[in-house]
Amino acid sequence: MNKMKINANIIDSNDFARLATHVKESGRYLLGIAASDERLKGSGFKIRYFFGGKNLIDEYSVSLPAGDGSFQSISKICPAAKMYEREINDLFGLTPLGHPDLRPLMLYPENWDFSVHPLRKDYNNVIPEFRKYGDYKYKEVSGEGIFEVLVGPVHAGIIEPGHFRFSLAGEPVLQLEIRHFWKHKGIEKICEGKNFNEALNLVSKVSGDNNVNIAASYLEAVENLLNIEIPERAKHIRVILAELERIWNYVRDIAWIFMDIGFALPAQNLFALQEELMRLNKSLTGSRFMFNALIPSGVSVDFDSSKLFTIDNIIKKVEKAIKESEAFILNSSTVLDRLEFTGKINKKTAEELSLCGISARASGLFRDSRVEFPYLIYDKFNLKPALLESGDVFARTILRIKEILFSAKIVTELLFNLPEGKIITSYENTAEPYKYAVGNAETPRGNAFFYIMADGDGKIFRLKYIDPSFRIWPSIQYGVLGDIIADFPLINKSLNLSYSGNDM
Amino acid sequence: MSFLSKLLFKNKTQDIVSGNSDSILIKGDELRQSVDRIFGRSLFVRLVDTGSCNACENELSALSNPYYDLERFGIKFVASPKHADVIIVTGCLARNMLNPLLKTFENVPEPKFVITAGDCPETGGPFKDSYAVCGPVSKYLKVAMHIKGCPPEPEAIISGFLNFMDIVKISF
Repeated sequence: MNKMKINANIIDSNDFARLATHVKESGRYLLGIAASDERLKGSGFKIRYFFGGKNLIDEYSVSLPAGDGSFQSISKICPAAKMYEREINDLFGLTPLGHPDLRPLMLYPENWDFSVHPLRKDYNNVIPEFRKYGDYKYKEVSGEGIFEVLVGPVHAGIIEPGHFRFSLAGEPVLQLEIRHFWKHKGIEKICEGKNFNEALNLVSKVSGDNNVNIAASYLEAVENLLNIEIPERAKHIRVILAELERIWNYVRDIAWIFMDIGFALPAQNLFALQEELMRLNKSLTGSRFMFNALIPSGVSVDFDSSKLFTIDNIIKKVEKAIKESEAFILNSSTVLDRLEFTGKINKKTAEELSLCGISARASGLFRDSRVEFPYLIYDKFNLKPALLESGDVFARTILRIKEILFSAKIVTELLFNLPEGKIITSYENTAEPYKYAVGNAETPRGNAFFYIMADGDGKIFRLKYIDPSFRIWPSIQYGVLGDIIADFPLINKSLNLSYSGNDM
Repeated sequence: MSFLSKLLFKNKTQDIVSGNSDSILIKGDELRQSVDRIFGRSLFVRLVDTGSCNACENELSALSNPYYDLERFGIKFVASPKHADVIIVTGCLARNMLNPLLKTFENVPEPKFVITAGDCPETGGPFKDSYAVCGPVSKYLKVAMHIKGCPPEPEAIISGFLNFMDIVKISF
């Protein structure tokens, strides 16, 4: 069932630093870096680099002998690696040599003793006393007339916490520094030792509004690991639910963009539509966010014909409302004036940061896991997601509109071609010790990547999840440059990233 | 402009009137009266997310959509804790959010109340065993009321506000 090939290579840390240039030049891009502590198995620490290309994932695994606490950084060759390496430095205490910025990422010196690395297997579960261990140094910008605006972590609206520091020269933004991980919950650690069913509940709570697609990615990894082939009907239902989630997410996103440019009326129109979609979710799955609809080896909900007609009706309504909103955007100079040329992310920046999803496709970079790493039944469609070049808020808004119509087409097509049969199959919860698998799915924000290694008892030895938000957040720091601070909320909403998924 | 004027006369708020006696409007009326009486016609709320999965924030945002339109009951989400009567806390209380939460609470003028929304701030939810979580919220702040649910639906949050009014009535 796994059509995607993983090319595994074992390589020395120094050699890899040299090879990375070559890998990048070949057009493959960094999907993620996962470290794990395999000293119990006798192979020391392992760092696995995953690079994606069309229908292919290349894995390079680097072994660090037990006594070796460092590895070669590839951040200077591949800037996308920067955050992953800082994360490894925090959670495993392995130092990336030659890294330009080794400040702690999620373990705040304001409350955590940095000699304690919680993802090491010999971490004794003792939580350091809550007190100040050190300072976090922000970047400094100085010069005549330069001033700073500090925002967060607790924001003015109903949004999640994050700290933003703007350095301004007059109105334009000279530099933005983002400090995240306020919501770091240590999900990867609590997943260890859980069985696949228990961990599903945790990964669904990584980012609640994308939980169906994240669960689809997680379950792909689990089902690869356990060699489960799920029934056709279940695959179809998973895709319908995943696309419904995409639709409600994008309807909300466009509503927020209207809200942030002061058009409350079209915004509320779409918020009302979002509410109807969430009520649909509830009538289909019992939860407004469709929590627990996807389960290992199948789905927990089945559709009868009345449900299919309900979905069809609402989809038609969505299509109509979205087309009206699109016409309004394109015909209104005051809207265009705010959206065009705002928050521009260049293609080169998008490439260097390995962006994914809408954010990449708006900057002329074709990245869509449904096409690149087809899962479930996505290879049956001849998917051609739209691509725009301008990289601004306008491009991201229009792409969302196109994606809604696109998803609506997929859902409508599936609704009346749903194969009969079971929605769940039986399986054995056994995987060889230290066997691992990866999973991919395209969430509304971009590629969700899972790397899961099993222990011998059908439990999780190591789980690494990479949320699209984790990859895309740094790009905002480039998107706002030269724009005025009042445009920041708009730029932020046009990417609409998850803080929770980023912080984990 | 025809698109905008068409939207102007689309009354969505009607939809929740229909239904049984448990409908939001009935609850809303009671709520409106309590807010009028106890908080001088307006209850100002400040949200602090301390480590949720963002579903709770989505549901709190949904309270402002045309279906629920929370502001017609006199309840408003405000931008600063200095304007607030109540802080509503979501999330499992991540270690990194403890100080921001306490600082926000400090900045709320007296009399002040804490409401938690969702299961995470009450119990820690699925994250309670983590090294990075120091909840529940009641360990650090006196919580007037917990609104249960994972996440609590908008109607549950409105009912929660109504229950909160009953609690406040007793203490005044």
